[in-house]
Amino acid sequence: MPDLQATLSFARKDFALDLDIGIPADGITALLGPSGCGKSTLLRLLAGLETPHQGHIRHGDRIWLDRAMDINLAPRHRRVGFMFQDYALFPHLSVARNIAFGLRRGVDKAACVRFWLDRLSLRPLAERKPSALSGGQRQRVALARALAAEPQVLLLDEPFSAVDFSLRQELRLMFQEAVADAGIPVVLVTHDLEDVRQVADRVGVMIDGQLRRLGPAEDVFARPGDAEVARVLGWPNTLAVQAWERDTARGAWGQVAASLDPLMRPPEVIAIHPDGPTPTSGQGLPVEVTRVTDMGGYHALLCRLADRSPLRIHLPKSSPVPRPGSSARLAIPRECVIPLRERSTAPNLTYPNPRHA
Amino acid sequence: MTSLVACAPASLALSLQVAGVVLLLFLVCGIALGYLLSQPIPLRGLLDAIISLPLVFPPIAIGFFLLMAFGRHGAIGGWLHQTLDWELVFSFQALVLASFVAGLPLVAKPIQSAIEGSARDLIEAAYTLGKGRMETLILVVIPVVRRSIVAGLTLGVGRSFGEVGITLMLGGNIIGSTETLSLAIYNRVLDGDFDCAAKLSMLLGLVSLGLFFLLRRLGRL
Repeated sequence: MPDLQATLSFARKDFALDLDIGIPADGITALLGPSGCGKSTLLRLLAGLETPHQGHIRHGDRIWLDRAMDINLAPRHRRVGFMFQDYALFPHLSVARNIAFGLRRGVDKAACVRFWLDRLSLRPLAERKPSALSGGQRQRVALARALAAEPQVLLLDEPFSAVDFSLRQELRLMFQEAVADAGIPVVLVTHDLEDVRQVADRVGVMIDGQLRRLGPAEDVFARPGDAEVARVLGWPNTLAVQAWERDTARGAWGQVAASLDPLMRPPEVIAIHPDGPTPTSGQGLPVEVTRVTDMGGYHALLCRLADRSPLRIHLPKSSPVPRPGSSARLAIPRECVIPLRERSTAPNLTYPNPRHA
Repeated sequence: MTSLVACAPASLALSLQVAGVVLLLFLVCGIALGYLLSQPIPLRGLLDAIISLPLVFPPIAIGFFLLMAFGRHGAIGGWLHQTLDWELVFSFQALVLASFVAGLPLVAKPIQSAIEGSARDLIEAAYTLGKGRMETLILVVIPVVRRSIVAGLTLGVGRSFGEVGITLMLGGNIIGSTETLSLAIYNRVLDGDFDCAAKLSMLLGLVSLGLFFLLRRLGRL
């Protein structure tokens, strides 16, 4: 199963992208990042819809792009399945003809269209035009059209963003089933953490045009590498440290003790894991409880620290819960305090880097 | 009362012939240029400026420059005369060129805007689905922007019917040879024959309106 390797440098007036990325041919790789970080541009570069100033893209043994050797395959020769954010369905063609649009010569078109209509439960809609479809139906047609063309790589730009929340779960499942046995590199760009948690096998985090973290999803969520990446991954409770006194971090928000590697330069940020802190009557971090939400299996407390910065903690149902508006002190176990650099000096990529592979 | 045929015996037929040829040229060149202008091609700005020039430049001045270029001693006209022994100015082809130059921006620009506004993603989708530029133009762009194409053709051909300035310079306004319907109206007014001028103006208006409704109907298909 050929993988996809890319080294790309691209610049526009107010934006620059510079990264190395490797996408294996099994499982789904999700790319996360704040708006404008270059996720969609990366997909367009991989598809050949944009041309980088420098770079190299290789799919298996086949070179798609090599600026040094003046090789730049047109999008139609890369055989990329690209699912656009607004789906880009051809408005003058029926669902069936949209799916048939990219089929290659020699393929039994009718049988292939029937297969994908059935696979994505579109058979009753086969003769409808895209204007007569709901958001979820359009999403399924776009996915069917991309997969029916037998792509070598599948690129998806925010595929669930235009779909109602209630439909997303069903579509994510359908998407996973449809691409599960494709055996091709699949890259999903999203800003929705729920998409990532539910469908991604690997996660890449992009910030300011750079790939700052790439690895197995569980590993990336558990060890983001630095504070900027942690925030993108939805880590709550990242607090700037103004000073360290031995193993105690101090800031305008208060102070907590952490397990600190004595050989490391003291980090600039700590993250407090929401699942460890508990209210205490003794010494602890002073907070003001602003909101308590019953989350089913636990209570979520939103608190304000001394400098008004927010702190979110989760308490088991069995624990006593402070009232909203009350002041409390929280005992913060050392293992719940994770020291982080604000920004790591080198990207943390667990997949082989094409420059060094 | 002077009969319509006696007013300008050949002008209506000549104008219709010019409009027919120009319509065919617009169908090919107007759509192709509208498509090209919507793509990130080299020198796009220059091409856009050249095509758009007749929108802002006085027609009589454009006609003069074309006459200088295509005249027997002009850069292009001289070359045509020497190599093909062919003179463009004061011919039917000169009328076609005048109408084509005047109407081209009215055809190409709406198509360009429509592609940039609603077909860019669709074009890219077609590319990723294995189609080249020509297939994408035929299978995606033309069907998607067909209403803008019809609107552009209506404006372009309508402009060709009403063209006077460039036609006067390039065609020479030779009665019985290069006197189009618009020029016939101009000539009758100069002759003081307002009866004929009124009839021809009515005719020109009716033909233009008929063309407008015909193309609008085609656009609904």
